[in-house]
Order: sequence, then C-alpha cells, then structure tokens
Amino acid sequence: MIEFLKKHYEIVEKAPRLYKLQIESDKLVEILSSVSINSNFITLSQIACTDWIEDEVFALNYILTTKERDKNLMVEVRISRVHCSLPTLLNLYPQAQVMERDLHEMYGINFRGNDTLYDFALENWNEIPPLRREFDTLAYVNEHFDFRIGREDNKDVKAEVKRRKAQAKESKDGK
Amino acid sequence: MENNDNRLIKIYHGPQHPGITGNMSMELDLLGETIKGARTHVGYLHRGFEKLIERRTIIQAFTIVCRICVPEPDPNEENFARAVEGLAGIEISQRAKYIRVMVLEMARLAAQMLWMGGQSGSIGLGVVGQWSVYDRDLILDLFEELTGGRVYHMYIYPGGVRRELPNGFLEKLAQLLDYLEGRLLAYDSIFFENSTFKKRAIGVGVVNRDEALKNGYVGQVLRGCGIERDVRRDNPYLVYDKLDFEIPTYEGCDVYSRALVRRGEMVESIKILRQVIAQMPSEGAIMQKLPKHRKFKLPKEDIYVATESARGEFGYYMAGDGSEFIRRMQVKGPSLIHGFTLLENLLVDEELSNVALIMNSLGICPPEMER
Amino acid sequence: MQFSPDIKGTLSPFLAVKKLFEHPKTICYPEVKKEQIDGYRGFHTNLLADCIGCANCQDVCMNEAIDMVTIAKDVNPKNASGCIPRIDYGRCCWCSLCTDVCPPNSLKLENECIWADDKADNFLYFPKDK
Repeated sequence: MIEFLKKHYEIVEKAPRLYKLQIESDKLVEILSSVSINSNFITLSQIACTDWIEDEVFALNYILTTKERDKNLMVEVRISRVHCSLPTLLNLYPQAQVMERDLHEMYGINFRGNDTLYDFALENWNEIPPLRREFDTLAYVNEHFDFRIGREDNKDVKAEVKRRKAQAKESKDGK
Repeated sequence: MENNDNRLIKIYHGPQHPGITGNMSMELDLLGETIKGARTHVGYLHRGFEKLIERRTIIQAFTIVCRICVPEPDPNEENFARAVEGLAGIEISQRAKYIRVMVLEMARLAAQMLWMGGQSGSIGLGVVGQWSVYDRDLILDLFEELTGGRVYHMYIYPGGVRRELPNGFLEKLAQLLDYLEGRLLAYDSIFFENSTFKKRAIGVGVVNRDEALKNGYVGQVLRGCGIERDVRRDNPYLVYDKLDFEIPTYEGCDVYSRALVRRGEMVESIKILRQVIAQMPSEGAIMQKLPKHRKFKLPKEDIYVATESARGEFGYYMAGDGSEFIRRMQVKGPSLIHGFTLLENLLVDEELSNVALIMNSLGICPPEMER
Repeated sequence: MQFSPDIKGTLSPFLAVKKLFEHPKTICYPEVKKEQIDGYRGFHTNLLADCIGCANCQDVCMNEAIDMVTIAKDVNPKNASGCIPRIDYGRCCWCSLCTDVCPPNSLKLENECIWADDKADNFLYFPKDK
C-alpha cells in the first residue's frame, strides 16, 4: 500500500523497507489518521526526538510500522524549541501515551490533549529537561557530586612530551 | 481482611520482586485479592545512557549500548552496529554476518533459559531455575571463549565482529546444541507439561487479539495470540533470509501459550545454529577497515533499525550530525509498550498472586524502558 | 465440575528426583578452580619495554578511567612522554578498547580477575609489567 503514500505525499526511500516523509506540524494528526486508514502503516512503534539546537528546532520522528511488520515509515515534524507543543496521538494509538510522557519529561514538549504527562523516570526533577542540548551533564555532575580523590597526578601527555624535549635540548646545549 | 464495604487497598508490588529482571514497581488497587487498578512506575534504573551517548564518540558509545538490556545485550550491539553501518555506508563481509547470527541466536537461547528460571520462580518451581541457569552458563562459557566476557560481550562492532572464532569453537557449539536439545525434553517433563504450571498459566493474562497488532505488541505476545510476526522473517537482516526456520505460534493468548512459543523458539534457535555451523564461510575478513577513533564521522542523516530479540522487536533510531559524535540514539525496547499499555490493562481483575507470573510472561525488562 | 486428573503432568516433575543420585554440577571453589580460558578480559598488563606513552588508551577510554603518570622505574627509551597508564578499576568496564588501540600492542588483558579490598580508594591499578 506504499503506492497510496507515494501518490499523495513526497516519500523518500532511505534504506530497503524504510521510508521517510516530512510534514508540517499542524497537519500531523490529519496526515497520520489518513495514513493509518488508507495504508498498511497502522502501528506506532516509536516517537524519536532529536534536538537540532543550531536550527532551533526539535525534529520528531513518528516511526510507523505496517500490519505485516515488514516496512517502517518515519514521519518527521519539526517544531520550535521555544514553544514546543504538539497535538497528542492518544486517540490514534494508545501506546503514544507513554512515549509522549517520556518525551515530555526528557525534552519538555507539551502534548496538547494528553493529561497524563506526569513523572516518568525522573523524580523531583527541577532542572531543565535533561535531554535538551543546553543541559550540560558534566557541569551538573561537577556541581552536585565530588570526584574521588587520588587521581590528581594525571599528566597531560602532550605537554609532558614538549617539556621533555625542551629539557633534552637544554641539557644538550648546556654540554 | 473484611472488604464488604468495597474499600480498595493500595499496595506497591516491587521494585524488587520475582516478576522481572530489574527494578520496576506496580501500584495496585486491591479489592480483597483481586486487582482493580494498576499503574506502572519506573525510574529505579535510570542511567541516562541516551544523554551519555551524545558526549561519546562512535567507538566509545559502542560499549554503552550492551548495558541497556542486561539479560540479553547482543541485540543492542547488533542494532547499534547496523545503524552506524547504515549511516556510514559500511558493508560487512558474509563471514561476519554469519558470526553475528550465531552470536544473536546463542544469546537468544541464553535469554530463554534465564526467562525459564524467572517464569518458574514466579510460581515457586525452584528446580527449573536451577537447571536452566546451569544450562545457560554452558552457553556463557562459550561466549567467554569467543568474546572474553560472559554477560557483556562487546563483540558485535560497527564493521563486523571483534575477534576471530577460536580453534574448534564450532565443534564445541555443535556438541552443546546436542546436549541442549536433549535437555529440552527434561524441561518438558518438569516445566512445560507440569500440571502445576498448566493450572497456573492456562487462561491467565489473556491478551486481546484484536488490539495486538494496532497497539504495537511484539514478540511472544503476538505469537502467543496466533499472529505470525517476527522481524527475522518480515524485515530480514544479516543472513536470516538464507536460513530456514519456522515461527512457532499458539492460539491461547495466555501465559501458557507464550511459554510454549518460547519453547518453540528454543528449538528453532538450535535449528538455526546448526545451519550456521554448516554454512559458515571459512574465508572472509571479520572486520572492515574503519576510520581512526576521532576521524570516524557520521553524515547528517537518520535511520531506524530493528532486531528480533528474545522478547520481541528491538528498535533503534539514530541520527548523525556530521561530527564524530552521535547526535541522537533512541532505544525502543519491547518492554515500553508491554510494561505500560499492555500490563496496566492486563492486570485488572487478575489475582494478586498472578502479577509476577503475567509480568514475566510478557518479558518486561525495566532498564530498556528508562535507558 | 468435571474431574479430569492430569496424571502425566502430575507425575512427570518427579523425574527431577533422579538428579539426587547424580554427581553435582557445581564445583568446590576455591579448592577447585574453573578452567581458565585464553583471551578472557581480566586485569591489564603493560609491557613497559614496549609502552611508548602515547596516551591513545586514555583518549579512547569512555569512562575516563586511565591516568597517564610518571613512575620511578625505567621505561622504554622510546617513551616520549615518560608516562605510563594507570587504571582506575572503580571506573573500568573491561571493554578492551584500550588494548585495541595500543600502537605497540603492549597493553593487554590477562586471565586474573579477582581482587577484594576494604577501601574504595585502593582500586587505582598499575598494570603488571609482562
């Protein structure tokens, strides 16, 4: 039933049995309902989100799978990082509930119409959502945890090579 | 306890209990012994792998992915390797593909053995677990010889596999397969045909067949509903399209059907491994030449790959950004949908004593839910 | 209710009883040790006569477990930095990537893998010189 999709949308074949379709975010529900009625792609297997901080967007890939489980279709929507909000797909796919909950916690994306967006894996998390690119893990760790002492004698190897070369030269010149 | 006034009691089942390999708790509303409502709580095992991988180069990220699922790390390695190969355009040799299939099927056998221990433990059949974990150890011994590690193999690598097969490895594997095939009959007598297990499992945890495909259930849950779906057959990877194997299905939709499907899969894994031993090419590079550590870069593209693990489809979404780091790698294990969408509904109107049984039969593995 | 006993299913689990008369599968550790296998990923060894102090191992280690330190002992004259790796076994995950990238192949993993200590600070490990 990939012909239906090829007729109506611009579909790219990324790999054997893997297709990609890029759409506007305001047409998301409309297009996904049409795809699930008119083609074999009836299941949602994953909502994958990528943070393209340099373009100021989140790219969400709704990965759909056919009834036969033999082809995958990635439907990509791009939304602004600042006012990130999308309609929920709860009415189309019940499994979207937990995936949206996960993304809400990790990226702070608001899914309009999903009222179950409470804590998923993190508890009492008050910082910015951790999978956003601006969240610096190392800075957070340095602020909240101590490193175990005893490893301060680590040498920078490049500086050490330079120092030893200079030293060797000096002793040669001294002679 | 008196419950005539229909008052519900709330208890937490977990995070430590015999139902699953890992920590996850079920918040249960009980009316007497009957469950009236269930909510899944995760977060006891969140290790932030997906964030960690954004700060690691491709080669460094490879050692993290196997830790996403403890009982069965190899499908993760395979997914990661295949996603990187797909993005970087690397084609691996036929021999490497056969070795990978061999590792994946050995891992599947080992995972089913461990599952048998868990499933029997959840209803108090301790002996089965002792036997099956011993048999799993024999597979781990072979893994130790092949990869240098027992549980985390870190063997399937973008571009091929990391080590050549040791001398006489295939013969040892063939011997072990003969032994395990004989052992399956022993498991039949103490577990699969055991009247205790049948009494507990038949008609318990019945999945609604009509919603199974639409809701994205995978693996034994589908095959236990009589729906023949397997990534190895439907969307073949490596050399699975050249191997001859069946997909066992049963119609019961209950815990017992899923157990029988797993038993059928063990037989099929042994069959596949025998074919792999017979067809293994003796020539061919196990590893393609890769760019150096910091020079290994992925293009600004994205890809989705899927592997059939011992519990169902395991999918990875990966996006590169032109640098040596992976911009995003998102894991979709079978447990996410099974543990929330399916389990929360399946437990309603079941007995409290069946919680661990049902959970285990779905093959839920918390580490891959929260990554 | 119909009474239909599952005689086979009730009796067959008793086959397990015959295991009582078999030799146990477990071994008597530590008197009897498991057979050692070549290529196990255990502790590190580093042949100092070959080590060139390049810090490739430090660069590839994703756990930042490797420090490059100077020692009093003689090292390889070709060792430009005079440093050798020291491994923090609180962080190491035994992936053996450091041994894969070692240019002179001096860093290796051995079979030995058991170490107990009561202080967590003691797990900074100098690879054995062999």
